[in-house]
Amino acid sequence: MSNTTLNETERPDDPDERTTTVGESEETIQPSWRQYHFDGDSKISVSGLDVHYGDDHALKDIGMEIPEESVTALIGPSGCGKSTFLRCLNRMNDRIRAAEIDGEVSYDGENIYGDGVNLVELRKRVGMVFQAPNPFPKSIRENVSYGPRKHGDIRTGFFDRLTGRDDREQRDRIVEESLRKAALWDEVKDRLDENALSLSGGQQQRLCIARCLAVDPDVILMDEPASALDPIATAKIEDLIEQLAEEYTVVVVTHNMQQAARISDQTAVFLTGGELVEYGDTDQIFENPNSDRVEDYITGKFG
Amino acid sequence: MSGEYASTLVTDETTLGERVASTVIGIGLLVFMLSVLAVARVVTEEASVLGVGLYDFLAGGLLAMGLGVFVVGVGSALGAFDTTPDETPGTVTAGAFGIIAAAAVWLATLQLGVLGPLGGFPVGLLAGAVTFVGLGLLSEDIGSTLPAVVVAVAVSGTVLTNLLTPAWLWDPEWLSAAFSGSMTIPTLTAAAALLTAWAGAKSYGGYGSEGRQAGAYLLVALNALGMLAVLLAVILFIVTKGIGPAFEGFSLYPFDWPFVLNGYSFRPDVVNGVFPAIVGTLYLVVGATVTGVPVAVAAAVFLTEYAEQGPFVGAVEIATNGLWSTPSVVYGLFGYAFLVPRLGGTTSLLSGILVLGFMLMPLCLITSREAIKSVPDEYRDASAALGVSQWETIKSVVVPAAMPGIVTGVILGVGRIAGETAPILLVMSGGLRDDAPNVLGSFEFTSAPPFVANDALLQSAPALPYQLYATITSGVSAENAVEYGWGTAFVLLVVVLSFYAVGIATRMYFRRRLNHE
Amino acid sequence: MLGSTLFGRLPRLERASGLSTKAAAMLVVLSLSLFATFALFLLNSPLAAVPLVAFVVAVAYGWVAHQDVTARVVTLIATTSTIAILGLITVFIFYRAIPAFRVMGTGLFGFTDPVTVFGVSLPAVETFWSTGSNTYSLVPMIWGTLVTTAIAMVIAGPLGIAGALFLAEIAPPMVRDAVKPGVEILAGIPSIVYGYLGFVTLNTFLFENLRMSNLGSLFLVGLVIGLMALPTVVSVADDALTSVPASMRDGSVAMGATEWQTTKSITLPAALSGVSAAVLLGIGRAIGETMAATVIIGHSQQLPQPLADVFASTETLTSLIASQYGNADGTHLSALFAAGVVLFVTVLVLSVGARRVELRMEKKLGGDP
Repeated sequence: MSNTTLNETERPDDPDERTTTVGESEETIQPSWRQYHFDGDSKISVSGLDVHYGDDHALKDIGMEIPEESVTALIGPSGCGKSTFLRCLNRMNDRIRAAEIDGEVSYDGENIYGDGVNLVELRKRVGMVFQAPNPFPKSIRENVSYGPRKHGDIRTGFFDRLTGRDDREQRDRIVEESLRKAALWDEVKDRLDENALSLSGGQQQRLCIARCLAVDPDVILMDEPASALDPIATAKIEDLIEQLAEEYTVVVVTHNMQQAARISDQTAVFLTGGELVEYGDTDQIFENPNSDRVEDYITGKFG
Repeated sequence: MSGEYASTLVTDETTLGERVASTVIGIGLLVFMLSVLAVARVVTEEASVLGVGLYDFLAGGLLAMGLGVFVVGVGSALGAFDTTPDETPGTVTAGAFGIIAAAAVWLATLQLGVLGPLGGFPVGLLAGAVTFVGLGLLSEDIGSTLPAVVVAVAVSGTVLTNLLTPAWLWDPEWLSAAFSGSMTIPTLTAAAALLTAWAGAKSYGGYGSEGRQAGAYLLVALNALGMLAVLLAVILFIVTKGIGPAFEGFSLYPFDWPFVLNGYSFRPDVVNGVFPAIVGTLYLVVGATVTGVPVAVAAAVFLTEYAEQGPFVGAVEIATNGLWSTPSVVYGLFGYAFLVPRLGGTTSLLSGILVLGFMLMPLCLITSREAIKSVPDEYRDASAALGVSQWETIKSVVVPAAMPGIVTGVILGVGRIAGETAPILLVMSGGLRDDAPNVLGSFEFTSAPPFVANDALLQSAPALPYQLYATITSGVSAENAVEYGWGTAFVLLVVVLSFYAVGIATRMYFRRRLNHE
Repeated sequence: MLGSTLFGRLPRLERASGLSTKAAAMLVVLSLSLFATFALFLLNSPLAAVPLVAFVVAVAYGWVAHQDVTARVVTLIATTSTIAILGLITVFIFYRAIPAFRVMGTGLFGFTDPVTVFGVSLPAVETFWSTGSNTYSLVPMIWGTLVTTAIAMVIAGPLGIAGALFLAEIAPPMVRDAVKPGVEILAGIPSIVYGYLGFVTLNTFLFENLRMSNLGSLFLVGLVIGLMALPTVVSVADDALTSVPASMRDGSVAMGATEWQTTKSITLPAALSGVSAAVLLGIGRAIGETMAATVIIGHSQQLPQPLADVFASTETLTSLIASQYGNADGTHLSALFAAGVVLFVTVLVLSVGARRVELRMEKKLGGDP
């Protein structure tokens, strides 16, 4: 059990940087998330992250180490910036017109906001599942094999068939494997060529998870993946998230505190104004939070 | 962990291959633009660039591009550059080059006069098929650069070796046109430059999915630019041609604008103007608005507020779409057969007004219906909850809320009918004249039915678009007929585009206000 | 006729009319007077003004005394007028085309040699179009319309869709905000202005530089119409592309697909029906375009020899009507109406087709929760 922070061991120059970026908040009390220690390796490390939408300061000086192969929950009232934070981790915020992002987000030690970052590579490694299921208006098989086909890992074109490079078998293997991991295979194995929009909401969301797994990412970001689903479908998604954490680093945004308590290993609490107030082991956050504001939020006194 | 991925997350700075590829794209844009100007005969083969004849310069640029693409393509295949090519260029690329090969072979057999015009056809097809399959079997970097290199070198070679000179002429018997070298050469260089620049862009992106994106974006962006340039050139051309005649004798103080304020007097010493036509167009537009718009808005109210989805509404929708798309000349025929015999038996302003009103109705009906539909149901519910009757609700809540959308639709519709020529050609006509129609002053009461008469309404009247047509067909007697036409075109363009600009600005204003609230 | 459908269809009106005999009387006067106006106008009687006045008076009285019912009836009449106008157009142009059908029979579509098309054998005509021998075959004009439309769509279709792709998918927001309204304004340039441009400059340009034997060609007409249809196609296709939900694009991009792959595999297929409706709309516009064709083309009612000669001077259906209506009567005039019938039916079929395609798209994307 090594209780040294990664900041000190791996990134010795970081404290200086923080002094310059944080500036005047130096005098204020160090928020508790600065002292969070965990076992194992860090997958994603965030420091000094600021996001502005025009005049709106959506995220303020966020710093966070996300451990690999675990579930990290981001909770907080609506409008607190938790989804914005999630979308910073695979640079989906780049697609939003007015978003202005400063700071550093490192993935396996490489700053994804640095120069020369290949966004396609990044998004292959950091997959994402959205709030509302968004399957493509194509067949189930095409939905799941979409990523590998687009990345050239599976070839089924005219000339590939002509030269015998046809990867149909491999495609079907990936489809089956991904659907099994997403606990959807048994329900759809007989209708892989049906339109994905004919599935129920819960099935569609698991299809979107399968679609994401087919690309073989390291990290899966989930933005309130169960908020549009009924309780039974939600329970299935929650089970699935816990299973996925054995192999993947999962970061999940939720507004449901019970859900965060059930599925996550560590929890980050964002409160209104785009601040990360507390980050730590889920048990500690829910049983014994350091901050009074977090305690108020968790006990329902403040939302 | 990142070791398991084939490519790296962070790439280094610009590579040599990228620099060569971007140079190719740069030269390509230059050659393409010069070639287009040469096709339009803005510059000719007599011009020279950097001491070289224009066409030789274009060919030289093309040759340089071909060499550059050859270097990056072969370099990538040999592993000299860090690229991620697919195993095949894909069916679209191979197909496009197949079509080019087929066309080139067919045209070559025509040129050489062997096999006859149809005999070369199967040979061309065969060449295309061979190219298609052959390219498909090559890897992407070679398969999408090499054919572009061949095209670039072939085109520049025929020009540089004087196989194809500006004096060259191809005059096929089966076409009423002939193609001279001075037109053919820049056409070929433009096409080849585009193709080679595309191959360069693909190389710049390192082939694979990003290379394809780079290639496609180059073409799509160029297309958008070219399109806007051509359309703006059309407007600018008309403005530069028309602004002179339109402002002849214009003075601000004392205010005088003869072209707009005078009639057509057929006198050489006075500036001939379009005043009667402007007044005529004004009557047409106002009349069509008065007849068409209330009906359209009423129908839109009925369809959204009273009617329930059923066969009646379905039939109305089909009828509306049918009316919306019916060609204007058919409206003209209809007016000619239905209105003209019943409204005095001659072409008349009133027939023109009614026909344009019929045309305006479906345009405004569709937009008004959309506008009323988009009024939130909460408004209606809130009003109904206060015990207000349905019609009161429509009158005082729904229609006012939909007003911006309705007004926008009316302005855009009016813009469209103001420039219509074909229907008034058949039902109104009316040539060049000195005095404006005086509708308001011509009302008279009579003893026989219909008890009201208005000669001005039942006579033909001039209108801007028809006047422009008349300038073309009759060739106005004055010497400066062409200038007069340009002036009329300019005024018409200003009138119609102002309607559009105001309509679109209104829509943007209300949309923005809606989004902020 | 109007009253009975009204009372049968609208229960609330029934109740309202049951309330007051005055309102019922007003409705009877209103519908009778409207019907009489229409009938007398059709019979070309100046007396039509009398019932028209009665109608206006009835509406005015109703508006003051029974506004609810009157508003409902007046809006219903306005709605019915769409069907009535389309009906009148159909009846009148078909009716006026009958003499030509009677004289020419299927020879209206006859070639100079007898041929069989789709199992219908068409008789031979001596010449395609001659007022002297009273022979009218629409074949050269149909061919002219077909060729100009094809050329126009080869230009406006792919370039228009590519332009829409640029606006919807590639252009930075600032460029888009400036260019989209610009394109919509360009769609408003009147066709006669294009025609004047083509007549004065392009005709002579092509004549000199392509050493043509005649002024005005199908090629130039197609080119100009294509240019004209371009902004319309761009604008409508752009609307279709932007109506694809952003969540679908996000889903694709978040998996590491490039923007272009997303456009090609997700956005374009999802918007396909809307985009094809845009192209169909463009085709409809191109077929019905009159003025540009009329002023540019050479007006010779002959098939080009050989057919592939797109630089020949011929005629289109629209330019035929616009150029000959002035000195036509009898069968000649009727043949022009027959040309109108061909145009009208073709465009109507296209418009119904486009609407169906659009409805399919709404259903497809609407099924997406």
